[in-house]
Amino acid sequence: MKAFQRILTVFLVLTLNFFLPRLMPGDPLSYLDNESPGSDSPLLVTEATRQKLLAYYGLDRPLGEQYVDYLRGLARGDLGWSIYYNAPVTGVLLGRMRWTLLLMGASTAIYVALGVALGVISAWRRGSALDGGLLVGTLALGSAPSFFVAMLLLIVFAIRWRVFPIGGASTPALFHARGVARVADVAAHMALPVTALVLTHTWGVYLTTRNAMLGALGEDYARTAFAKGLRERAVVVRHVLPNALLPVVTEIALRLGATIMGAMFVEVVFAYPGMGAMIREACLARDYPLLQGAFLATMAFIMLFNLAADLLYSRLDPRLRAT
Amino acid sequence: MSGERTVRSGTPAPDERRGPTLNWLAVAGLALSGAFVVLAIAAPWIAPHDPTRLFEPMLSPSRLHPLGADDVGHDLLSELLYGARFSLGISLTSSLLSTLIGAALGLAAGYHRRTGALIMRVVDVFLAIPRFPLIVLMAAFLRPGPATLLLFFLLFGWPRTTRVVRSQVMAERGKGYIEAARLIGASDLRILTRHLLPATAPIALPRFLSEFQHVIVAESGLSFLGLGSPLVKSWGMMLAYASRHPTILITDLWVRWVLPPGLCITAMVLALAMIGVSTEMWYNPKLRASGRRIGERRVVRAGSEVARDRPVGPRAPAGGEYDLRGSVHSDAARPRSAAHAAARDGALRAARD
Repeated sequence: MKAFQRILTVFLVLTLNFFLPRLMPGDPLSYLDNESPGSDSPLLVTEATRQKLLAYYGLDRPLGEQYVDYLRGLARGDLGWSIYYNAPVTGVLLGRMRWTLLLMGASTAIYVALGVALGVISAWRRGSALDGGLLVGTLALGSAPSFFVAMLLLIVFAIRWRVFPIGGASTPALFHARGVARVADVAAHMALPVTALVLTHTWGVYLTTRNAMLGALGEDYARTAFAKGLRERAVVVRHVLPNALLPVVTEIALRLGATIMGAMFVEVVFAYPGMGAMIREACLARDYPLLQGAFLATMAFIMLFNLAADLLYSRLDPRLRAT
Repeated sequence: MSGERTVRSGTPAPDERRGPTLNWLAVAGLALSGAFVVLAIAAPWIAPHDPTRLFEPMLSPSRLHPLGADDVGHDLLSELLYGARFSLGISLTSSLLSTLIGAALGLAAGYHRRTGALIMRVVDVFLAIPRFPLIVLMAAFLRPGPATLLLFFLLFGWPRTTRVVRSQVMAERGKGYIEAARLIGASDLRILTRHLLPATAPIALPRFLSEFQHVIVAESGLSFLGLGSPLVKSWGMMLAYASRHPTILITDLWVRWVLPPGLCITAMVLALAMIGVSTEMWYNPKLRASGRRIGERRVVRAGSEVARDRPVGPRAPAGGEYDLRGSVHSDAARPRSAAHAAARDGALRAARD
């Protein structure tokens, strides 16, 4: 039943993904034509050329046929041809995706560590000024739109103080650099985007850890551990923390989905060559196939993370395995 | 009638619920969000100018224009105040409506088994779809006006509420006071509205708050990506226009153009989050900061302190555990633990009944 529902959902997303662009006003060719609003193309596309192009891209065929084609292509990993980049969508996506994954990986590793550490400290010292400060502080940062935080970081650290590069993923002039120089260059370019993501995403892990820790600290086994005279640190770190980490694992898997979207906005601000910046370009250029491919990939990622959360969970919690 | 009341032990008496919820988080949150709502409502009276009126472009701040003007000459303070109207208006409307729709469907789904199975099937499909990417995609293609945008948010906003409300109803339905009410002849409608509806309120409130936050942030994000409607005055659109201005990064313009709307969004979302967290603390006493500090050496050594009971207060609603932004993880069919619940609600959210 569950498997069936998942398949149904995937199918629904695929179908929606197919029909949405075809419902919208305008078509991909309107961008080529300098007569349509919002286009600064120097080309003048005649009606004959237009028809030819439509036929070439298969956009003049009945919807049903296009749909079957679309599904067939998907099965082969073929997401179509990007009109804007004039290259296969899959290729464009893969090229961009590694940068997004790099940002996500780095920031997730940092905010998970930070969130768990702060959550433990907060629960340990609950009710203290430190706890209150951490709670409101992480919440406040998490409440800010990621692109807003990114813009502020950009203005302060890259433009005012010039500590970090203002954008991109590497210095173009250093394309030949290898080894340490290359790593340092990429790291310097990542620093601000990753900071923006860490600042805006720590609250989830922090709060989940804090709540789980508070719950676990109130359990009888924690009381027993305290009562038998164990050191405070030993009880918190060795006894309580492992038990409190279960919900944190789920939270991380779910947060990854949010991080993809966060990364998208942050990339736009820093002109980072990941999927986010590409999605914005594709939006402006009305590059249907690219947009569809990008969102399909994003949604596939998120659904995969959700599935992982589900599976991981029942593995980690033996009580769930029996059922 | 009075007999019906005395059996109603499942939910705490109304006055028992008040009081301690008003801790400082809630007070700060309510004050802050209240202030924004008042400013939004009062915008036409307190805004120095009509937000659509054009003054000289790029005016520096002055008495007449405290924040100056943008690149086409809109008074920035007036835009900010009117922006609150749209940003708060659309998020309040959509979160209120989606909570109401979601709660109604959740009540129906929890009370009536057959209808419930059908509704939950739809809910599960909706919940498995990552909603923000899809809304961005839909907005990119359909270029929605405010009304269509509201519809998008509604479309993806209700299922979460339905899910948690249904779980709560199912947990509550089996309790003695409902059975007692039915035995003395209360109609389905009466049981639903007088007993089950109040019992689900603590669950619907956090959902409402988290929807509210989601829509404010989502609206600003869509605007930032260039998918908002250009005529709308909202905080998101202000940020969007500001971010596209060529000199925004190299001059001091950002201090009065980027900072105010960005801080407004942040403060409003923070205020709602604080209310959410404090509600959560109230319904789950374990999370309350005011309790004894576990792990404090003094407490541990003193036997009497250890033996003391946990802080008294109503327990979390049966089958429900709260986390931030209000999502309540619960499922009547399973043993209650924060861990379980988070996994269930968190993950693919497929039906397990």
